[in-house]
Amino acid sequence: MILTLWVTGCGQNEQTAPAIKPPTQQEVGKTISQTPQPVLAQVTEKTRQTYQWYCAQCHGMKGKGDGINAKFLTVPPRNHTKAEYLETRTDEQLFEAIKFGGLSVGRAPCMPAWGHTLDEDTIHSLVQYIRELCQCQAL
Amino acid sequence: MKTLTIIIFSGFFSLSSTLASAGLLEDKNCGSCHRLNAEETEKSFTGPNLHYAGNKFQPKWLSEFLKNPEIIRPGGFINNPGFLKGDSESQPPHPSFPEEEANAMAAELMGLKITKQTSVTTEPLSKGQRAKIKYQFERTFSCISCHQSLNLAGKVRGGISGPSLVNAGNRLQADWVADWLSTPETYTRKGRMPHYKMDPVTLIQFTRFLMMLKKENIK
Ligand code: HEC
Ligand code: HEC
Ligand code: HEC
Repeated sequence: MILTLWVTGCGQNEQTAPAIKPPTQQEVGKTISQTPQPVLAQVTEKTRQTYQWYCAQCHGMKGKGDGINAKFLTVPPRNHTKAEYLETRTDEQLFEAIKFGGLSVGRAPCMPAWGHTLDEDTIHSLVQYIRELCQCQAL
Repeated sequence: MKTLTIIIFSGFFSLSSTLASAGLLEDKNCGSCHRLNAEETEKSFTGPNLHYAGNKFQPKWLSEFLKNPEIIRPGGFINNPGFLKGDSESQPPHPSFPEEEANAMAAELMGLKITKQTSVTTEPLSKGQRAKIKYQFERTFSCISCHQSLNLAGKVRGGISGPSLVNAGNRLQADWVADWLSTPETYTRKGRMPHYKMDPVTLIQFTRFLMMLKKENIK
């Protein structure tokens, strides 16, 4: 368990990446004022399939929050195509919501925890997929 | 008398479970939609797996279902193309059969087993324990988001992407429920339900909670 965390931490884990990144960027000669960009997880065909298989039950096939469970939930599933709200959430917050469930980030318990179903790389790539859907970044 | 036949049949078939795969189920072509053999791993089916029916269901419910099928998956079966589109209301009705055939098929289904499960008590939960698990069912684990169950007023509530649990106590075997909640991969290659890591006490309490859900309690 500790080993897996360590390995992903050395891979494309976005939280740990910035620590090693800045020097290289300066070496390459990019503008010094630029803030270091974390290495973003890749959105692949597998990411989309994962979203369709698990998340679309509630969030809908296009991420609009209109999946088949939506009308039976006390709090509607988040619309992943709406930038206004998602801009106010960091990637880490979205990651935590997916891994530990809605309650963990002060949102509704109708959003299940996926931490025992999906590995961290997959969850990172789902965060990036949601960023694609909303065409937005954290402000 | 009916139940007696089933008991005798199921006793017979569990003793000779390797022989039980053929017969009436094959004649009726149940295998065109359902997986009936543990070996059939390649094919993708349009109905739920039945190769462990003897582990999963209560025999009385099976006969009843085959006489008078009811909708268990209001959102349709997870592998069907229409599943996410919510057009499953147009699912064709399940084939139904006269009493004798239904009983014989139920007995045959009870012979299809794949595992030896650990036994779980079905003793009802105390009022306090039940309230605790109900809370966890709705909040800690979000089960209600995908499954119909009964609220305190006896009304059906919940999402429809998973099978209805409103009648779980008459339909499922407690041992199987506990197994499903701890190791679903034994029963399905890839489901749409999240995996949980419940501690053993919570696991048993969840099982007992689900076994208390019965359609007679709908108000
Ligand atoms: C059982 C229904 C359900 C499923 C399945 C589901 N979600 Fe959610 N999700 C919700 C609900 C409901 C909310 C809204 C919570 C709120 O607004 O308080 C939500 C909110 C979210 C949020 C936003 C959290 C926030 O800050 O409001 C993200 C991100 C998210 N879901 C991602 C996912 C991903 C990725 C999957 C698939 C792995 C998934 N969800 C599967 C119901 C679901
Ligand atoms: C045309 C495809 C089809 C055929 C043929 C078919 N079934 Fe089914 N069966 C289904 C579907 C789809 C469901 C799920 C219904 C639901 O959940 O509401 C189902 C559900 C069941 C269930 C309940 C299983 C569960 O997990 O809930 C049993 C038992 C069953 N069928 C037995 C049979 C038997 C026995 C036969 C042969 C006589 C048969 N079926 C033939 C499609 C079929
Ligand atoms: C995101 C939706 C979702 C959530 C949340 C969820 N389930 Fe499920 N559940 C399903 C689906 C879909 C199935 C059908 C099999 C599959 O796809 O894994 C299922 C199957 C089951 C079954 C077997 C029923 C049968 O007849 O085959 C039981 C029992 C069950 N779930 C109980 C629970 C419990 C208890 C919880 C909470 C601890 C829970 N589920 C949370 C979607 C969900």
